[in-house]
Amino acid sequence: MPVTLVHPGNESVPQAAAPPPRLASLSGKKLGLLDISKPGGSLFLDRLEKILRERYGVSEVVRAQKPTFAKNAPAPVIEQLRSMDAVIEALAD
Amino acid sequence: MQQLQNLPAIPGYQPGKKALLVFFETDCPTCQLALPYLNALAEDSEDTVQVIGISQDGDQPTREFIRQMGISFGVHLDQGLALSRAYDPQSVPTIIFLDEAGQVQKTLTGFDKAGLNDLAAAVGHAAIAPDNDGAPAWKPGCSSRHLEPQTPDAVGEETTGGRQLLRRIGEPASRITIREEAEAEEDPVEFCFRHFGDALPVVPPTVERVGAMLQACALAPESVVGRIPPCYGEATVEKIAANAVMAGCRPEMMRVLIPLVRAVCDERFNAHGVQATTHFAAPLIMINGPVRQELGFWSRQNVFSNVARANSTLGRALQLILLNLGGARPDGIDMSALGNSGKFSFCIAENEEESPWEPLHVERGLRREQSALSLFAAEPPRGVSEHSAPNGETVLRAVCHALATVWSYRMCGRNEAIVVLCPEHVKTLHRDGFSKPQVRQFLFENTGIPVRYYSGRDHGEGTQLVSLYREIMVQGEPCYRKFRAPEAIQIFVAGGTAGKFSAVLGSWGTGPAGSQMVTYPIPDK
Repeated sequence: MPVTLVHPGNESVPQAAAPPPRLASLSGKKLGLLDISKPGGSLFLDRLEKILRERYGVSEVVRAQKPTFAKNAPAPVIEQLRSMDAVIEALAD
Repeated sequence: MQQLQNLPAIPGYQPGKKALLVFFETDCPTCQLALPYLNALAEDSEDTVQVIGISQDGDQPTREFIRQMGISFGVHLDQGLALSRAYDPQSVPTIIFLDEAGQVQKTLTGFDKAGLNDLAAAVGHAAIAPDNDGAPAWKPGCSSRHLEPQTPDAVGEETTGGRQLLRRIGEPASRITIREEAEAEEDPVEFCFRHFGDALPVVPPTVERVGAMLQACALAPESVVGRIPPCYGEATVEKIAANAVMAGCRPEMMRVLIPLVRAVCDERFNAHGVQATTHFAAPLIMINGPVRQELGFWSRQNVFSNVARANSTLGRALQLILLNLGGARPDGIDMSALGNSGKFSFCIAENEEESPWEPLHVERGLRREQSALSLFAAEPPRGVSEHSAPNGETVLRAVCHALATVWSYRMCGRNEAIVVLCPEHVKTLHRDGFSKPQVRQFLFENTGIPVRYYSGRDHGEGTQLVSLYREIMVQGEPCYRKFRAPEAIQIFVAGGTAGKFSAVLGSWGTGPAGSQMVTYPIPDK
């Protein structure tokens, strides 16, 4: 005899977003660096920013920071980075 | 006071009657949270107040908003944002309360439970926004459309295309038909184990078993009780019941499961972080009040163990809900480095009968006769043995040494702890005149990390923050204070009457930037 079960899981279908086109070069591009507020994150990003500017010719770097790594980035932080050509989100410990 | 004269006419507005003008956007999460609360006012107080929604979006997304959110009052489309420009709300939702003369009496911005209840009182209605329904007390809104740059006249036509809003009524759960034959893959237990399990066999959530759970709950099966982080699956009553069946819960446990789901979705608890961290944290459920006897929650020997069906199945049901609706699977998004055996089940009850002090829920503001649950993002328990203490102070010093190692031995001020005191230790403390606040104060003042641990070049976790630490003396030794305040230490009395073993459970990150303990009342039988 067949058994009928009530589906106990999440049945919503996630909406996938296509990744943006890859950058052919970093030269002259605007880059966002997002510090998630883990200890050491700013040290890592300072070094990264220097390399991006000196070696890769990145024209502009915008630094943004989440108030806490334990929660999603609030809307104003996302807004700061919306106009960037690319964003690097850094995890550190 | 702003007059209604010289303002654009509002279709449906009846002069001479109180009115609430509710400006909203369809894609604003705060509007989605706030507007359904006004249904009760619109339905019950139709004769005294008119509730008029004013949508800043186009026809299609507004229709979809009304349908998904179950809005029962009239909604007007603000063509060209003329009304928005005239009333000039800075953000949405904004509720403007007009008296009978059309004068603005009050303006409420964002989601604000106290403000909503004040509005309800102003029109002679009972409170419409209860404290413990899982929603925050306050949440800011989004910027009003007329203040957005380059706002076209026909705004928001595409904003909700196919998107699921924060609706209050979800879809019925789909049905899965399985033929009960000899093949393992068609055995219902095996099927559930593979798709919806916690690495242990579960009770298949048949339509009949789930139906019995639903019989024990006054809410409609499709009511959305919460959205479970981190993937935010809708926890309808029916889905909660299905997971509870799988965990082995009895139907009467539904009265605990509904507030439990609200508590775990409470933004203060921050289940999003708790479920995805690399740390050990798992939600520890602490039960207080008469529900312990009514449903058989165990508070005595082996309180953290596999001792009572109520504790084991409620803790397991929460974990299955977190897995199946929240999506933080331990081989996926849940990134805990070592995990926590509490992720099978983590539920204890307070041994109020062996405690001379106020139980936890009373300290948290509830009546003793009110059943309650509290949730804390906890590490596994670490034992504190003290069988030879001549007095209460010696017992507490043993607890202090365990507290000093919470999170990491040189990290101070960032963490909290639950101290589970066993009845024998409580008896000694009570005999020596310690009240519960005095126990907490003693632990706060006497838990310190020796300053010498921070000297030299031995840097490590916690040493970089030393400039923030407060120096104190503990038994003649200069130390840094471990906890930021006495309130960072919660006392819970549990365990058997034989054996002088207490326990300390450290926290994950605490405060508004981490996870805060939440306490929810459990409705009476």
